[in-house]
Amino acid sequence: MSAPKRLAKTLALGLFILAAACRTPPVPSEIAQAVVLEKDLGRAGGTLFFPEEVEAYRRRLVALKAAFETERAKFGWFRDYGPLRASSRRLLEEGGGILDRVARAKSSRSDSFQTAAGELEDRVARLKTITAYFNENDTIRQYATQAEIKLAEARLRAEKENYVEAKKSAAEGMALVEKAQAAAGGVLARYLDPDELARWRRLAEDTVASTRASGKVAFVVNKIERTLTVYRGGEAVSSYGVGLGRYGLSDKLFSGDEATPEGRYMIVQKFPQSTFYKALLINYPNDLDRKEFAAAKRKGGVPGGASIGGAIEIHGGGRDNLTMGCVGLENRDMDEVFRWAEIGTTVTIVGALAVEGTILEEIRKFGKNE
Amino acid sequence: MKKYLTKNLVVILALAFVVAACKQPTALIDSAKAAIEDVTKAGADKYAVEELKALNDDLTKAMDEVTAQDKKFFKKFGTAKDILTQLATKAAELKAQVPAKIEAAKNLGIQFQGEAQTALAEAKDFLAKAPKGKGTAKDLEALKADLTGAETAFAEIQAALDASDFIGAQDKAKSVKEKAAAIAEQVKAAIEKVKK
Repeated sequence: MSAPKRLAKTLALGLFILAAACRTPPVPSEIAQAVVLEKDLGRAGGTLFFPEEVEAYRRRLVALKAAFETERAKFGWFRDYGPLRASSRRLLEEGGGILDRVARAKSSRSDSFQTAAGELEDRVARLKTITAYFNENDTIRQYATQAEIKLAEARLRAEKENYVEAKKSAAEGMALVEKAQAAAGGVLARYLDPDELARWRRLAEDTVASTRASGKVAFVVNKIERTLTVYRGGEAVSSYGVGLGRYGLSDKLFSGDEATPEGRYMIVQKFPQSTFYKALLINYPNDLDRKEFAAAKRKGGVPGGASIGGAIEIHGGGRDNLTMGCVGLENRDMDEVFRWAEIGTTVTIVGALAVEGTILEEIRKFGKNE
Repeated sequence: MKKYLTKNLVVILALAFVVAACKQPTALIDSAKAAIEDVTKAGADKYAVEELKALNDDLTKAMDEVTAQDKKFFKKFGTAKDILTQLATKAAELKAQVPAKIEAAKNLGIQFQGEAQTALAEAKDFLAKAPKGKGTAKDLEALKADLTGAETAFAEIQAALDASDFIGAQDKAKSVKEKAAAIAEQVKAAIEKVKK
């Protein structure tokens, strides 16, 4: 055999082997795509959203790869990647479906977090508005502040797309809001009690009626609205903003409780000069206060050695000052009230007269999550 | 004849080499994937997020290259192999760096905790110095309650640090610091109100 012939034969053999090896059925590229998809699922947080589905996908991919290796181990001519290609396509479709669902779930979680965060923000803001209306707000504000911090924390986590933790923080914030709400309920429950409201209304109406009958002046202090209204001849002639005791929404029971008494009193002394500008002393404790104090003492509701207290005044010095239980007014308003007042002028102090149109309405709505 | 056989053998060996080169680098792919999983488990998903993302991107790049080569008659997996080999090295390097990154996150958490504590102390100082005069007493009492709430939240930072939740500790500390700073600003505003 001549050299060129031998070379031609060798080349032909080589090309035959090359064709046999490299032109065996092509490896299904879908398998590689399925591997990439597995990583995409991992990166997209698939295991967080649909752990079972992703795990099932992984198991099928492992099985597919094993089947591929088995097929590839066969001699080229006997390889048949057809069924594997079909399985790979189905797996890709399945994986693509999971990936779409992850994207939708992510978007939904982001929306759901934004909704939860918005709700929390709104409730915290409302809580803070409500607490501005009364002094007994320590616990409520503490919880509200903690809830605000939780909200900030939740937002930081959401920025990192960690919606699971973000929602957890928001839920913790909402739990704190509920605690604040419960604490507010403790302070304000009797202000929403219809019987208590009716009793206060009767007290105020009697006072107004008495001015109608006598033509004299009387003062009605409304604690929740923080107003002192001057009535003469059954009509309101003037109204002023007031400040109350540190625990002014409570009914005064004993000395040092810093609560503002409720009931019907009268002015027993006028002080044109006082530590707090000008002052009008009222006759706290009255007979009813004494009875309540004695009953509370019997039940152990009064600290040992505490007296019933006294020296409750309407005075100047500013209405934003926290008093020891007195009713505080701005000095210019005190000048006017002082002029209206006489020894014997009735001073009726009530918790509230209405729910509608007052902060109590907002408190009630807040309690009902409206 | 002997010469002819030798020639054939050389050609067959050369072709065997070519055939071998046609094969997907499966072992490399698997080891790269294992390396990524390994580094993820070591904490890279929390403390080396960007670096882990880069590794995953490299793997995607390599797989894209494998897919592209698979479609060709003459398959060249060299580029994919290079990427995968480098990826394995990078993953090993990252894994070695993770403990330091966790330590850095912990230190940052502690640093933020300190900053939050300073902010709380400043707010407390402002509150203590604020004149409780006309028009401020009620506001200051409310802010005092707010500060107590922030101090309660501050305790959670240590709890997160103790639980090795360093990112959580950082977020908590940042939030407390921000709130303490806001309280301090409100105290300043209340003081200004008195001055006017």
